[in-house]
Amino acid sequence: MSDVLDELFQIDALGPSGAYRSRNRMTVTEVGGKPVAELSLAPAPYVSRAMSALRKADTMDREARLAAIARAGEAFQNGTIAGLSPDEYHRMVSRISGLGIAEVRSAAGKIAAYSQQAWDRAQFARPLGVVPTTDHPSVGKGVGLWVRRGDVFGVHAAGNHPAIHGGWLEALALGYRVAVRPSRREPLTPHRLVTALHEAGFGHDHVIFLPTDYAAADEMIHASDLAMVYGGADVIAKYSGTRLLPQGPGRSKILIAGEHDWRDYVDLVVESASRGGGTGCTNVTTILVEGDRSVAADFARAVADKLALIPSLRPEDECAVLPVQPIEEARRIESYLLETAQGTEAMLGGEGIVDDLGDGSAVMRPAVHVLDSAADVQTKGIELAFPCLWFAPWSPEDGLAPLKSTLNLVLIGAEDGLIEAGLEDGSIRNVYAGAVRSYFSAPNMPHDGYLADFLMKSKGYVRVPDALPPAP
Amino acid sequence: MSHAANPILELPFGTLPDPDAYIQAAMAWHFDPETGSPFWLERAKTLDFDPRADVKSHADLALFPNVTDEIRDVPAASFIPKGYGSKSQVLAIIESGGTTGAPKALPLMADFAQLMVDRDVYIFEHYGLTHEKNWLLFSPSGPHGALEQARRGARAYGVLPFAIDMDPRWVKKEIGAGKQAEADAYAEHLLDQALFIMRGQNIGYIRLTPPILSRICRHDEWVDLIRENVSYIHWGGASMDADTRHFYMDEMFPGMTLAGSYGTTMALGSGGAQRFGAEDANETIFDPTLSPYTTFEVRDANTGERVEYGQRGQLVVNHVSKALLLPNNAERDAVTRIAPVNPNQIGDSIADIAPLVEFKGQKVIEGVY
Repeated sequence: MSDVLDELFQIDALGPSGAYRSRNRMTVTEVGGKPVAELSLAPAPYVSRAMSALRKADTMDREARLAAIARAGEAFQNGTIAGLSPDEYHRMVSRISGLGIAEVRSAAGKIAAYSQQAWDRAQFARPLGVVPTTDHPSVGKGVGLWVRRGDVFGVHAAGNHPAIHGGWLEALALGYRVAVRPSRREPLTPHRLVTALHEAGFGHDHVIFLPTDYAAADEMIHASDLAMVYGGADVIAKYSGTRLLPQGPGRSKILIAGEHDWRDYVDLVVESASRGGGTGCTNVTTILVEGDRSVAADFARAVADKLALIPSLRPEDECAVLPVQPIEEARRIESYLLETAQGTEAMLGGEGIVDDLGDGSAVMRPAVHVLDSAADVQTKGIELAFPCLWFAPWSPEDGLAPLKSTLNLVLIGAEDGLIEAGLEDGSIRNVYAGAVRSYFSAPNMPHDGYLADFLMKSKGYVRVPDALPPAP
Repeated sequence: MSHAANPILELPFGTLPDPDAYIQAAMAWHFDPETGSPFWLERAKTLDFDPRADVKSHADLALFPNVTDEIRDVPAASFIPKGYGSKSQVLAIIESGGTTGAPKALPLMADFAQLMVDRDVYIFEHYGLTHEKNWLLFSPSGPHGALEQARRGARAYGVLPFAIDMDPRWVKKEIGAGKQAEADAYAEHLLDQALFIMRGQNIGYIRLTPPILSRICRHDEWVDLIRENVSYIHWGGASMDADTRHFYMDEMFPGMTLAGSYGTTMALGSGGAQRFGAEDANETIFDPTLSPYTTFEVRDANTGERVEYGQRGQLVVNHVSKALLLPNNAERDAVTRIAPVNPNQIGDSIADIAPLVEFKGQKVIEGVY
């Protein structure tokens, strides 16, 4: 037995004095249940001391750290890191997370791209009056400068998608020292990225990898100046506060209003629902369509017919799209879905969404349900990490209410008034007007606000000669 | 008036009675109408066995029902054995944590408190604790017995006890109400007070809880002061896992004696102390240092059968002293059953105390994370 366990990939904590292997280790399993790795869980006092070291560390100068981040990203994508080649890493993440391997590879590419652009992406959030550096020609006239709100940034990461780890590179680029507490579901990606950053020249007290239990995770957040926390509504509620940037649920929505024929938008909805396996917060959850309930039902049926064609494949299959989960987890989510869906009309997945692969894992098949009215959207339209859609009829009298609490709101055929109302509403983070997929993004666009809005503040600065000018 | 007890009930610490003779003498004491407590004399009427006739050994203690939940409704005075003659032997009324509903209150008799002091002194001497430095005690007073008992130990050892009172009920109430920030502020308040003592009072020994020690690690000045002056940290009142223990011993405070204890109010604060020489073990092992008065058994929570050595089970505490009888108390703790090293020990040693988890269906939380 111990021989087998010795062969498991060891994911150590990476603290200020190097790798730390705990006695209490969590077995990381493939979706089918086979153990593949062991994750060390750092105890709370280890976290306290690591955070204290992070606080005392120096920040590398800008040129050096941007070059190191870029080198790390290149190695992350193409190099052998911690003994894992890119192919081995992709396959392992795919087997652990259940994400299709093509999606995992694409996520690794995104992280590498972020690493080249981390500084430039942050600049999109820079206020107009703020100059980028202190040697700017305008400093003699007085300018705004961007300074960090703190020194130590904590990341309580999610495991739903590897690409989320591209985000905190921006904090590193802006000069923060960073602690990453990985999701215990998929700790491999941040371990690889932090290892790559160390190999690229970052000090072990500049960026650290802190796998912990939940209690010690609180310690990490406590000791950070600012922290980003991914999680469901319960986690977000626990950590709410001004020092914390919650990365909450997406509940992205699409409205098709007016005279438009919904048939034109079937593919747009299918792609919005299924890209990346439907595991992201920008995948659409709710689709509202102007008209009576039968219109919503017809639209839902057409989308369901297409989603039903996506094959059930093992995650390591190049063509895999739908996410795979351990069978018990899949059943648990299924019963939650079926319970929530009571009283709605099922177009797909009404009998269940679990497709047993026979190896202890199961594919999460798409689900499509029709709600009786737009008023049900906020209570029934739950977001789950696979293509899980709720269609509802909408009329202009329903207004904005069913469209609230949304990360990405796609408004197709909407009147200008509704678009403006959406832009003004505080619970809607992004508004996409027109025929846009719900996952649309561009480098200059904020995702849930700019991260740098949270990380930076503006300071007044003027630099003139020390000698007073001669009296006239 | 007081009654002479069988001397076997009054042996000093370290002198072990014949186990069966001891149990029989204790039953005679607690169930004699002249010497037993009002609680047990009344409760005996509804027992389906005769303790004085049927309970001959520690194993027979399993005949008793677990009465600890009845204690909330019983005045503490009812637990004083009549044989003590008056209430003058009661050092304190000590109460349990009382997180859910009324607390349980028990009288602490002076003779048993002295046994605990003698046991503590024995442990201090084992670890070579200096008499030249003073003590810092983070411990609950008020309704609880721990701080006063620790002070008695200091007096016996000839050192000065500096105390920081802790109110565990308040902290649990704050956390239960979701007020983590206020609970944090309270804990920082404890550390702030103690820091003055650490700076100026020649502290060589600290008694604390694992959460306090964990919080100390956030403060560099605290860590430095401990590294400079403190040779022994005693922890109790909560559990500490092996990684945490080793991190303290190997990384944070090399050379430090770090030793824990486990006690329960239902045994007047007694229980077990960390096994000597087992500091490097992966498990945190506790031996019942006041055997045969306070002893442990590890049972399967469902079947009530003893589990095998090395297996997890529910902790059952038996307390049988002249001062108090509370046998067969199933605690809400899961432990590993460990074989004793002392051949005279009654019952089990235990390791890795954790709350007894009730397995229920896990709730699904909405969201993609």
